[in-house]
Amino acid sequence: MKRTWLHTSWTVVIITTILLTACGPQPTPAPTEPPPPPAEATPAPTEVPPTPTPVPIAEEPVTLRAGTTYIWDTANPTFGWYGYALRYLIYDTLVEEAGISNFVPGLAESWEVSDDGLVWTFKIREGVTFHDGTPCTAEDVAWSLNWTIENEIETFSFYLVNFEEIVALDPTTLQVTLSDPVGNMDYLLMYVWILPRSVWEGMTYDEIMEFEDLAAGIGTGPYKLVEWVEGEYLILEANENYWRGAPAIDRVVWQEYATEDAMVQALLAGEIDVADDIPRTAIPTLQGAENVEVPIMKSTVIDELIINSHENGTQPASLNDPAVRLAIAYAIDKQQIVNVAFLGHGEPASVIIPTSMGDWHNSDVQDIPFNPAEGNRILDEAGYVDTDGDGIREDKDGNPLEYRLYAEDDATETRILEIISDGLAQISISAPPTPMDEDSLIGLYPDFDFDLILWGWSLDPDPDFAMLIFTCDQREEGGWNDSGYCDEEFEEMYRQQAITVDHEARRELIWQMQEKLFNERPYIMLVYEKYVQAYRSDRFTGFGLEAGDIRWKSALLPARPVQ
Amino acid sequence: MERSNYILRKIVFSVGTLIAVLVFNFFLFRILPGDPVKLIIHSPRMTREAQERIRANFGLDKSVWFDVERLREGDVLGAFDSQFTTYMRNLLRGDLGISFATRKDVTELLAERVWRTVVLVLGGNVIAIVLGMAIGLIAAWRRGTRLDAAILLWGLFSWALPTFFLGIILLILARGHLPVGGMATPGLRPEDGLTYWLDVGKHLILPTLTMAIVYTSEYILIMRSSVMEVLTEDYILTAKAKGLSTLRVLRDHALKNAMLPMVTMIALTFGYTVGGAIQVETVFSWPGIGRLMYEAVQKRDYPVLQGSFLLLAVSVIAANLLADLLYTVLDPRVKAE
Repeated sequence: MKRTWLHTSWTVVIITTILLTACGPQPTPAPTEPPPPPAEATPAPTEVPPTPTPVPIAEEPVTLRAGTTYIWDTANPTFGWYGYALRYLIYDTLVEEAGISNFVPGLAESWEVSDDGLVWTFKIREGVTFHDGTPCTAEDVAWSLNWTIENEIETFSFYLVNFEEIVALDPTTLQVTLSDPVGNMDYLLMYVWILPRSVWEGMTYDEIMEFEDLAAGIGTGPYKLVEWVEGEYLILEANENYWRGAPAIDRVVWQEYATEDAMVQALLAGEIDVADDIPRTAIPTLQGAENVEVPIMKSTVIDELIINSHENGTQPASLNDPAVRLAIAYAIDKQQIVNVAFLGHGEPASVIIPTSMGDWHNSDVQDIPFNPAEGNRILDEAGYVDTDGDGIREDKDGNPLEYRLYAEDDATETRILEIISDGLAQISISAPPTPMDEDSLIGLYPDFDFDLILWGWSLDPDPDFAMLIFTCDQREEGGWNDSGYCDEEFEEMYRQQAITVDHEARRELIWQMQEKLFNERPYIMLVYEKYVQAYRSDRFTGFGLEAGDIRWKSALLPARPVQ
Repeated sequence: MERSNYILRKIVFSVGTLIAVLVFNFFLFRILPGDPVKLIIHSPRMTREAQERIRANFGLDKSVWFDVERLREGDVLGAFDSQFTTYMRNLLRGDLGISFATRKDVTELLAERVWRTVVLVLGGNVIAIVLGMAIGLIAAWRRGTRLDAAILLWGLFSWALPTFFLGIILLILARGHLPVGGMATPGLRPEDGLTYWLDVGKHLILPTLTMAIVYTSEYILIMRSSVMEVLTEDYILTAKAKGLSTLRVLRDHALKNAMLPMVTMIALTFGYTVGGAIQVETVFSWPGIGRLMYEAVQKRDYPVLQGSFLLLAVSVIAANLLADLLYTVLDPRVKAE
């Protein structure tokens, strides 16, 4: 369809006129008060007698309204991949994450490990019950974990791959025997929700997968799932029997907006109290608005430039030369990328593990500064000179230093692409920016048919995954190694860190691995992204902001309504 | 005789188009690069067996079109057991498959959402048709005057406005007075009766208004030019000479003859009813078909995309057929062409 752009202020004037004439004197005051409480809709748990309905609350319940661009795909936790913050309000795990890479006890009060790292003993909290009233003892936890492994539950069974035997020694003691030691037990367990036997027992695999009932949302967490209308909203109600005590906020309503811009408007209008994933362009508006706070928090989202490192990849030989890779690193202005593409909200990145992940981040590594002159010197010294006078260097065999530079075609990536391409031009390397759609980009990976790709990851809070993507096995079809990097020494370090239980020893290994990757450069790290959220400070206060996500259990539980 | 021939030919042509769309629809999404299973599997640690199980679950373990291996083994029937035959077989049974993202039945997903889009688009269109025809008629009657120039300018301007941009501006202007998005305030349900429907109505104002503004301009422009053309005809002069009132000249002579292009326009617009609201539904978070498609594209949910494309194609074809049939009623000259 043909659409032309017109001068904005003129447009606004005309539209205002239209609006006024078309609507007449209307705008009726819209409800900014919390929505009326819906009729009680307790999910009907299969066979289990319903819990005595909570005492009707006389006064208006304290309601927090959270905006999001997507609530979740399904109430069924066994294959649902979205709405993690929400699911953690419903279900508990043995270990919880209170801030990025900061693991704290959850349903397990404490734990200890045998000297060989194979036998783990967990003390399970007493008096915990599921939302349907059934108890959650060590036996129930053992049942849930065993059931997860037996049914290969899609969303989390793989966190339990080394678990050989899980038994309850008594109602408060759980014993886990492993086939091999694991170095990140706390991290593994924070992904495995404890589900009630009363709901899930006896179902076949297909029945589990097709289970659509709201009872799929029964857990031991601080909130109960009350209602979900797909594409619209979801309502949670406080669990009065929560083991940490009943939450201060009685009701949490998730409201879905199809665009971030609409969500920002809703927050400004006071229709919602918190919003996650705010677009960076909206930050100044929100910061200037009354009664709105905009916490900008560290995240595990990283951006990097992938250099094709596969021995059978289609990259030119020059790209395998460490000198060329070093020169490229000198030619990338990371600060400019942060300023232009991320509007200042981000950090220039050095190693693969971001600073948000605490002591896992190797802070000893000194990043390569932006210095094209040094890049030019290195290339000159390594014998890459412009022999034919076209402004682009050639290698000894006369092949020009021309590289294919790809990225996804969104606004942020395209800007980064331009900056990198300009930087490379300064050291006489030609890499014209080529944005393409995500599918085409992903299609290049299996054959390693590229030179440079701009890409990013949202990393797990444990360093294991960040290292896994550089292992040889992951290069196969369906794997996650996108650089093609494969190194015997690195493999050994990876295997070692996976079974090192002692934190300090494992940290030492992870630091060495980061340094090795930094020096060999399958990736040149660009930016550690920040996570932008906002909330109405006239409605709520006291969020645990170190959680990184304002809707996370540890962020929401301490929050209180403003009196 | 000639007329029934015309109708028959149009129907046959529509059915042919539909079949072509069905086949095209299947291959359209298979041409896209990338493995859909990879898009369903979000975990890097999922075992190969679990991946295979998911593949089988969605029927993606079968060959796309024709299994040459099995034919070589002499299994002729088995060779035809492909993704394509499964798709066609299921289609004939009205089964559009299971969504990759939510594992819900696509037919149910579409059925649940289609009426919401229809309400929105119909509302916007009815307003636009009435306003557009009236304003276009006035402009044509007063052609050359300042009023005509103003209407023409406005028509061209609002036609050129990007829908999403207009939507966002309206949304910002009405912020605090009208709800920013959604279909109803969380917690309200149809059982609540009038309160619920009033609430839904309030949520409908902005999206309907956006649709109405954009469509009105198109109707104004078409109406204006076709009425102007008719007004130059000799029979209008005759009618005026007979001393008929302006209203009667316009209503009985000009309007009826100017309707043909309008009918085409209206039919086309209604054809796009189902899919045409993608931008409006996205800006105002209206949970209809348009937003379903938008999200399905983002999540690469192929069965949902396939289903919505089919629905879209069917409605466009049906609307065109309807327009063709209406022509025979409106204009007896349309027959053999």
